[in-house]
Order: sequence, then structure tokens, then C-alpha cells
Amino acid sequence: MKRMTIMTAGLAGLALGGCIQVKSPDKPIEINLNVKVQQEVVVKLQRDAQDLIQNNPELFPQ
Amino acid sequence: MTGKMAKSRWLAAAMLALAGGMGMSGAAMAQSADLAAALSSGAVGEQADGYMGVVTSVSAPVRKEVESINIKRRQAYTDLAGKRGVTVQDAAAATACQTLTRLKAGQAYRIGGGAWQKKGSSAIALPAYCASGG
Repeated sequence: MKRMTIMTAGLAGLALGGCIQVKSPDKPIEINLNVKVQQEVVVKLQRDAQDLIQNNPELFPQ
Repeated sequence: MTGKMAKSRWLAAAMLALAGGMGMSGAAMAQSADLAAALSSGAVGEQADGYMGVVTSVSAPVRKEVESINIKRRQAYTDLAGKRGVTVQDAAAATACQTLTRLKAGQAYRIGGGAWQKKGSSAIALPAYCASGG
């Protein structure tokens, strides 16, 4: 009986040792979305710019 | 009688306004022809900051017209910037991507603080931020 207990304890120790420990990082995780937003702004602006030129030909002589 | 008088007076005023308008547009047309010539010869050109610039010495009316266009452009860029929540510089630069793309061979352009260049037969190298706009 005593032997059983020791074996169980040993197995439990082994199981614990095999655990993957996940530590939370010290620094917060940052995801940078600025790049995509910037790109969207540029694309939208390009369309606006085309409209601006088409609607005001006197401001954009060729 | 007074009604007829008022009507004819209104007509005269309208005619005068029409004549005035025609005169104005006539002068503006003449200036634009000079500006168009200056543009195609490369005496004035487009800049990457969204404004026109004077490359070589040009006549006073042409210079004035370039200045007037730039003031109106600034207003248009300011409106667009307000609409999209971007800076006036960004709106102007985005528009410059288009004006630079539209340039024809022989026309002048300047990118950044660089020297004035004349567009050849091939496409010009646009600033990097123009690329994704298409």
C-alpha cells in the first residue's frame, strides 16, 4: 500500500514534469493595423483625386 | 408702363451681365492658351506636392495664372482632406500621383526637393506612396 502511494506520487511527478508551461508575456501583444488603414486611405484618396481632377478641369490644365 | 420699363431694364442688365461674362471667359481662355503652351513646352510643370510650379521664366499673366490655380487647388485639397479626415498635404500628394501620371512627353515635373525633369517617352518613376493607388 505504501509502495503504491510512492509509485503514484512518482507518476504524478513525471506527468507534471511533462507539462508544457505557458507563461504570459511580460509585454502586451501589439498588432499593428496601421499599414492596412494607411493603404486604404491612399486607395480611397486616389479615387477622390481622380474625381477632383475630372470635376475641376480648370484647376488641372494639361 | 412701369412694368414694361422694369422688364426692359432687367433685360438690359441681363445682357450686360452676359456680355461681361463672355468678356471674362474670353480673357480666361486666352490666358489658358498661354498656360497650355507653357505646360507643353515645360516652362511650367507639376510637382509631387500637388501644386504647379514655374520652371523657367514665364510671362506675368502665366505666372499669375499658376498662382491662382494653386490657391484654388489648395482650397480643393483642404475640402477633400476634411471629407476624408487626412491632412491637406496627404490629399495634395494623392492628387499629385494622378497629375504626374497624366503628364505627356515634354512636360516638366518635380518630385520631392529634386530638380525639374522633363518627361520622356517612358513612364516616370512615381513616389512610392502612389503605387497602391493604381
